[in-house]
Amino acid sequence: MLRGFRNILLKELKELVRDPKILIGIIIVPVIIFPVIGAILGYAQETAIEEALDANLLILDNDGGNWSALLISYLDLNATITVLEDVTPQQAVNQGLPAEYNCTQFIEIPYGFSNNMTVNLSGNPTITAAVNAFDEFTVGGIFSSVDSAGVTSRIYSFNRIVAPDALSMTQSVIIEGEIQQNVNPAMLSAVLLTQSIALPITIMILLTYSMQIAATSVAMEKEEKTLETLLTLPVDRFAVLMGKLSSAAIVSGIGALAYMIGYSYMLSSMTIGMNLEPGIDLAALGLVPSPLGYTLLGISLFVTLLAGLALAVIMSAFAEDVRGATALVGYVYPLIFIPSLVIMYLDINTLPTALKAVLFAIPFSQPVIASKAVIIGDYLTIVLGIIYVTAFTLAVMYVASRLFATEKILTAKIRFKGRGSKKAQEDIA
Amino acid sequence: MPFNVSLAVEAKNLVKQFGNIRALNDLSFSIKQGEIFGLIGPNGAGKTTSLRIVTTLILPTSGSMKVFGLDAVTQAAEVRKILSYLPEEAGAYRNLSGQEYLEFMAKFSGNNSSEAIREAAEISGLGNRLKDRAKTYSKGMKRRLLVARALMTKPKLAVLDEPASGLDVLHAYHVRQIIKRYVMSEGVTVLLSSHNMLEVEYLCDRIALVNKGNIVVEGKPSELKSRYNSANLEEVFAKVIGYA
Repeated sequence: MLRGFRNILLKELKELVRDPKILIGIIIVPVIIFPVIGAILGYAQETAIEEALDANLLILDNDGGNWSALLISYLDLNATITVLEDVTPQQAVNQGLPAEYNCTQFIEIPYGFSNNMTVNLSGNPTITAAVNAFDEFTVGGIFSSVDSAGVTSRIYSFNRIVAPDALSMTQSVIIEGEIQQNVNPAMLSAVLLTQSIALPITIMILLTYSMQIAATSVAMEKEEKTLETLLTLPVDRFAVLMGKLSSAAIVSGIGALAYMIGYSYMLSSMTIGMNLEPGIDLAALGLVPSPLGYTLLGISLFVTLLAGLALAVIMSAFAEDVRGATALVGYVYPLIFIPSLVIMYLDINTLPTALKAVLFAIPFSQPVIASKAVIIGDYLTIVLGIIYVTAFTLAVMYVASRLFATEKILTAKIRFKGRGSKKAQEDIA
Repeated sequence: MPFNVSLAVEAKNLVKQFGNIRALNDLSFSIKQGEIFGLIGPNGAGKTTSLRIVTTLILPTSGSMKVFGLDAVTQAAEVRKILSYLPEEAGAYRNLSGQEYLEFMAKFSGNNSSEAIREAAEISGLGNRLKDRAKTYSKGMKRRLLVARALMTKPKLAVLDEPASGLDVLHAYHVRQIIKRYVMSEGVTVLLSSHNMLEVEYLCDRIALVNKGNIVVEGKPSELKSRYNSANLEEVFAKVIGYA
């Protein structure tokens, strides 16, 4: 054993454990966050499975033969179905029938289906009968492909049990009212899943990192004892605040730009990869953001970063040193992590209204919401988010400017259970 | 009541309350222009609080503070233009060189900043070390840099909290000489706080002994020694607060 190690270790542990900021930030917050993540995941899975079980299935029977009747009766055992005759898939989409019958997917049994089945089962295996499946594309949670998986498994189950190898299935996706032929929804979900996880994680890292930088700017002035001198100079206090915010914003702006470049590269890499088999081209499907989409996403991220920075500067004003400031800012992290995780794992549109309102009210949700909205070209949601976060940022900056204009910037301290409060006041005198 | 134009600082009935603690309790003093005035007293007596009110960092709970006729509460921005403050535990920006730090500070003065920087280089005596980053400086070097910063713009009022804190004998002597010289040549008024009675006696024209947020006695160092029949100010102080 190293000489003195035990003694030093005990001292270090006492210092750390007795610091409530560390205790709360390092131990208690994760103890809360992980159960919350578990609850979110459980809810997401449960919701997806329930939706899949409760899903209605719309069947467009354009065949009207014996085999189509058999297939429909088979599917009727496993799902709530609605059968329409003589409606083409495009007509169904144009007339909004999936929404009318509360379903996110439908299948078409095309004309000649029964005839082909009969030919196949009569000993001609080169002829197969095809069913066409259509899935409404949504930028949902990571379990959003459960629905289409349910339909696929039912069709394959029929193929295996009732008519071995006689039935094939083509899959298409409906994006923005357009049928995109021969696009496997599960494959598309898998491609988009990567970015639906990568984007929020990158945003979380960028936000937390930038807030750490901003938090240290005031705390460093306090720790290095330069703040008092600075505040007695003939300079507008608001200029001091803006100088700190602007420098952090410039660094963050560069971060946001680097992020957008990386994101764009990531998507283009995927597009290139998917141009090969099995033939999904995100650009051709309209699922790669336009320059306007990239710009709005960048602005959303930038204003959210500004909001985070302003908040971090305010919080750091209440800390005595850099360690205290980073611990204080740590309390904001659940407001970054939890909404991002919720939006990552769940389709926000399926959430209860109250929860949805809470998510939209947290400014740090906005770039994550925007990253999903931009995929489907929902620019209104992004613009509204930008306006909201800008208003929030202005409010926070107003509070920060008031703080800088008064002696609170020097005397304000967050106190824990009264520990150290008397000492702090004696130091002031 | 009109402000006496010959006064640089006039503090009247200052009270400062921090929660349950009354840091200043009806404290009053005045400083004439061109005078070096010292506030001395034990830790927690209210010296730093007084200096922070003069320098517009904090507001008095009640009472008034005037600096060259300007109200330190309602005309804080104007007051900041004519004073310079050296806090007791002040630091410099670690990643700026001494030269960059002085340049940064000089730009706020609005006067000839290159002249101010030349002046500061001379006051600090740091020579080529001014090109090095402040994080490489010893405590004494840092203090010399900060004293130089406080005086380089020739403020009308220099507020110095423990100006020679952390300096060795020779550098402390050097700094005190500079303060004296500035008062003589530039007409700078100095309000200082110190625990060093030798420094106070050497520098100050008048002193005020502060205890429990109030001034208990005020006068010239020689007068006070004579009044309390004491060999030095330390003894005067001990007798005044009933310690000796």
